[in-house]
Amino acid sequence: MSEAEIRKEQETIERAKKDPKAFGEIYEFYFDRIYNYLHRQTDDEELAGDLCSQTFVNALNHLGKYEFRGFPFSAWLYKIAGNEVNKHYRKNKGKKVFSIEELKVKELVEQSSDEWDEELITQVINYMNELPTDMVQVLELRFFEDKDFKEIAFILDMTESGAKMRTYRALDKLRSQFNIKVKYDG
Amino acid sequence: MGKHEIRMRRQRLTARGTERFRNYDAVLKQHEQEKKMKKIVRVFTFFLLIVVVVVLILLLQRWEKGRDKKSEDRSQKIEVGES
Repeated sequence: MSEAEIRKEQETIERAKKDPKAFGEIYEFYFDRIYNYLHRQTDDEELAGDLCSQTFVNALNHLGKYEFRGFPFSAWLYKIAGNEVNKHYRKNKGKKVFSIEELKVKELVEQSSDEWDEELITQVINYMNELPTDMVQVLELRFFEDKDFKEIAFILDMTESGAKMRTYRALDKLRSQFNIKVKYDG
Repeated sequence: MGKHEIRMRRQRLTARGTERFRNYDAVLKQHEQEKKMKKIVRVFTFFLLIVVVVVLILLLQRWEKGRDKKSEDRSQKIEVGES
């Protein structure tokens, strides 16, 4: 997002603080991204739809408290969405689900040959199942949502160095365990 | 196994699939309802607080009255005893 776009977005938010109807622009712009993020964390269309609505209602309810911190507004929405997901899993005492697109895994792991080894993908998935949940969350935001470390730190309430450390550790393990190249742009 | 489960999805998420959940009017309506509810709870809490303060003042007045009456009775008894 360019500086000009962020500035324009801030103007819309300032307008929305006085007139909630103006928030509709933000809703339309970010709906798909937040819905998909929630769908990846629940693997349930209906639940993702409900949590997505609740995310935007909460954002609207607390818009007066929102302060610009140098990130796009989406970071705040991701944070609220993440809290909604955590609340849901706490309430239902269920196991947290990460539904990852096969294509995204293929993008993350660069294979030397053109042919994809299904067995390798299964092993990578099994490996990710063994990782601590907070590590998977960081990987998800970094590689599947394309967030930078500063934004990830804000979304997950951790330090930037903590987010980097978790990512690098997970990727180092992945590389050494499977002897594969990993998309690694820091 | 960790406290999570990784599931692999072969299909990509598309914008078309999200359309049936997109409804800003419903979000706005829920926001208005929650805002209204918050206001009601705030007014009720304020009212309750006032009631509690008034009751406390009344109790304090009653207790003070009782204490004054007791000390009056005691001084009257002393006067009667002396005479």
